[in-house]
Amino acid sequence: MSDIRLPRILDESYRVAWGDLCYFKENAVTILISCLIGPLLYLVAFGYGIGSGMQSGVDDYVRFIIPGIISMATLSATFSFVSSKILIQKLFYTSFDELLLCPIKPSSVVLGKCLAGILRGMCSCVIILMIGLLISPGIKVTAFLFVLAFIASLTFSLLGILAGLLAKKHNTLTVFSSLVIVPMTFFSGTIFDISNLPAVLKYAVYALPLTHQTESIRAVMLDLPIPWLSVVIMCIYCSVFFFVSYYLIKRRSF
Amino acid sequence: MGIIIKAEGLKKSFDGFEAVKGIDIEVEEGEVFGFLGPNGAGKTTSIRMLTTMLRPTSGSITINGFGLDKDLTEAKASIGVCQQHISLDKDITVRQNIKHHAILHKMPSKEINPRIEELSELMELGPHMDKEVAELSGGWKRKASIVCSIIHRPKILFLDEPTAGLDTKSRHMLWDLIRQLNHLGTTIFLTTHYIEEAEDLCDRVAILNQGKVVALGSPRELCDSVGRITVEYSDEKGKKTMLQFPDRESGKEFMATLKDNATMSLRKTTLEDVFLIMTGEEYFKGGV
Repeated sequence: MSDIRLPRILDESYRVAWGDLCYFKENAVTILISCLIGPLLYLVAFGYGIGSGMQSGVDDYVRFIIPGIISMATLSATFSFVSSKILIQKLFYTSFDELLLCPIKPSSVVLGKCLAGILRGMCSCVIILMIGLLISPGIKVTAFLFVLAFIASLTFSLLGILAGLLAKKHNTLTVFSSLVIVPMTFFSGTIFDISNLPAVLKYAVYALPLTHQTESIRAVMLDLPIPWLSVVIMCIYCSVFFFVSYYLIKRRSF
Repeated sequence: MGIIIKAEGLKKSFDGFEAVKGIDIEVEEGEVFGFLGPNGAGKTTSIRMLTTMLRPTSGSITINGFGLDKDLTEAKASIGVCQQHISLDKDITVRQNIKHHAILHKMPSKEINPRIEELSELMELGPHMDKEVAELSGGWKRKASIVCSIIHRPKILFLDEPTAGLDTKSRHMLWDLIRQLNHLGTTIFLTTHYIEEAEDLCDRVAILNQGKVVALGSPRELCDSVGRITVEYSDEKGKKTMLQFPDRESGKEFMATLKDNATMSLRKTTLEDVFLIMTGEEYFKGGV
C-alpha cells in the first residue's frame, strides 16, 4: 500500500461517495425512517413490553437497552445499505465498474463507499440517542460515545462492502444477513445481559463485533469502566474488513 | 505521433479456457483504431484488459507511456471508457451521473458545469438531464453514458460497441462526435459489430478471431490483401459463393466461365467481405 496519504485518500473518498451522498440527500427522510423503524420497535417492545421481566444487571432495563438499541441501529443502518448498494451497483447497474476505471486508489474506493453508510449510521445513532435521552435522562452522553459510534459505523459499513463484493447473487446476501447479521443483532448483548449465557455461547458471542460495540457504548452511557479491550477488538475488526476489501478491489477478485 | 496503446503477448484464461491467446497491438496517437470480431472472439475481454478492468493472465500493456502493472492510476487518468453495457447509477439523475464522472476524474470544479452544458447540448440531452436514469430509453442512456466517458477530455477513448441500441440519427450523430473528438487529437479505440461503421471511421482495424488477431491494417489494405474485386454468384440450388480477384478484368474473366443462368455480380471488396473471410465463414472461398 504505497498510497497511504491521508489528504489524498480523504479527497478521493469524498469523490467516490459523491453519487451515494446525492442519493442520500434526496431520500434522507425515507432512508432514515426505514433504518430507524426496526430499532424503535425493539425499544418499545423490549423496553416497555417484555422488559419488566428481563434481568439486565442494571436497575432500569430501559437504561440498559438504549445502548443496545443504538448499537443495533448502527448495524442495521450501515450494513444493509452499503452491502445492497454495492451489490446493485456491481451486478445490476454495473456502475461499480466505473469507479474502477477512474484514477482513484482502491483504498479511497473502499472508504468512499463507506461514507454514506457512516452518515446513515451516525444519523440513526443521534436520533435514537435523542429519544433515549427523552425517555431515560440519566444516560450519559460524551464525545467518546460518538467516537465509538463512528468506529462501529465504519466497521459495519466495511463489513457491508465486503459482503457486497463477495456476493455473486442477491440471494447470497440475504442468506448472509439471515445467518450472520440477524443472530448478531440479538445475541450481542443488545437486549439482554450476556453474562447469563452458558460459557460456550459466551465465546461465540464475544467473537461478534457487535458485542464489543454494545459493551463499549453501554459502558460510556451507563458510566461504567470503559472496556478498552472491546474498543481495540472493534478497531481490529475494522482494519481486517478494510484490508480484505482493499485486497479484493485491488486484485479485482470479486 | 508515437505509440499510445501497446499490448504485447496479451493472454487471458478463465478456468482453463483461453479467451485471448496472445495479442500484440500498437495504436498510434491520434488514430481511430477498430477492433472487430465475431461474438466470443475475445473483443470485450481484450478491451477490459486494455482499460484496466481485467488483469491479463500474461503479457504487458502500456497506455500513454504508463505500464498498467506499475502506473495504473496514471494510465487510468488518460482514458475514457464507454462500456458495452450501460453502466450508469440508476438511482440518481443523468446530470448527477455525469457530474460524478467529472468529480471522479478530478476535473477542476469550475470547469465541470460548463462542460456538462456543452456536452448535453451536443448530444441533445438537455430535456433529460434532470431525469433519473431509470426513466430514460436505451438510446438516451447510451448518449448519457458516452457523455460520461468524454466529460474529462481523455487522451484515449475506448468505445465498446457504442452505437448498439442507437437509432440511425443518433448513430450518425455519434459518428460525427467520434470524428470531431479525433480531429481534436483524441485517440479512439472502437469495437463494433457494424462493419460499415469501422470502414467509415477507422484508420486501421484489427480483426480478432478465436482470441487471436487474424488481420491488421487499414480497411483499404485489408481489402487489397484478399483481392479488391469480389464476384458474388449463386448456383442452381441458390448457394451463394464469393471469390476475390486482384482487378476487375480477372473478375470479368471468371464471370465469363460461369453458366448463363447463374446469378452473379461484380463489386468492390468491402471490409465485411474481409471480415467474413478472416473469421472463416464457409460460403467464402476467400483468397485470390
